Amino acid sequence: MIFAVGFGASLGALARFGLTNYGKKHWMRQTAFPWPTLVINLSGAFLLGLVFALNLPAFVYAFLGTGVLGGYTTFSTLNTEMLSLADSGKKRLLKRYLLASYLGGICLLTAGYYLGTVL
Amino acid sequence: MGAVKNYLSVAFFAFWGGLARYALTEAFSFYGTALANLLGCFLLAFLTYFFLRRTNARAWLNTGLSTGFVGAFTTFSSFNLDAFKMLAAGSSLPALLYFTGTIVAGYLCAWAGKKAADFAATKMLERG
Repeated sequence: MIFAVGFGASLGALARFGLTNYGKKHWMRQTAFPWPTLVINLSGAFLLGLVFALNLPAFVYAFLGTGVLGGYTTFSTLNTEMLSLADSGKKRLLKRYLLASYLGGICLLTAGYYLGTVL
Repeated sequence: MGAVKNYLSVAFFAFWGGLARYALTEAFSFYGTALANLLGCFLLAFLTYFFLRRTNARAWLNTGLSTGFVGAFTTFSSFNLDAFKMLAAGSSLPALLYFTGTIVAGYLCAWAGKKAADFAATKMLERG
């Protein structure tokens, strides 16, 4: 169980690191809006809702849910990015980022959950 | 070569970050997730702003600790799932408190982490 969580978290974090590096290069050319983290967190929330609804065996859930998706999404980067937007006086982007993350996160998780119950 | 080193570092440290969060949730259920998230906000802001001042620090270690360990230690998806579970169980007030409480506290913890980094960096500069 412990190995499943740890190994899953490694995989999730690698995906996050790769996507962040890619996104910073291609999606943030003309804006300071943290698109990579937003995409990661929203997709991760959707997938966790889905995985949770599927009622998988505890071992599989520990790997996929707690490990991979827990390691893929991040709460600390979101807050540090909001802090840096506030520091550079980008109030408007900060407001949009906050709303998109938190409203989008709970909506997409719910959507993922209902998709999972249908499957 | 530097890129490979960074990816390996992220994978290695994320293993332990994920495990640390798992241990906290096993011990304290959703309080564990909240604790990991808030602690992680402080730590990441601290590391980010501290290393900004000290560019001579090893880049792969910085990436491993912040993106790997703290990134995997905190979680956005479980935070949403925990709020959703409370809501689904019919406890809408605790769900709302948990949701908004974590949002506000997370930001405050990140802010405190930045202040602590500024303080630590100034102290180190004073000492030379």
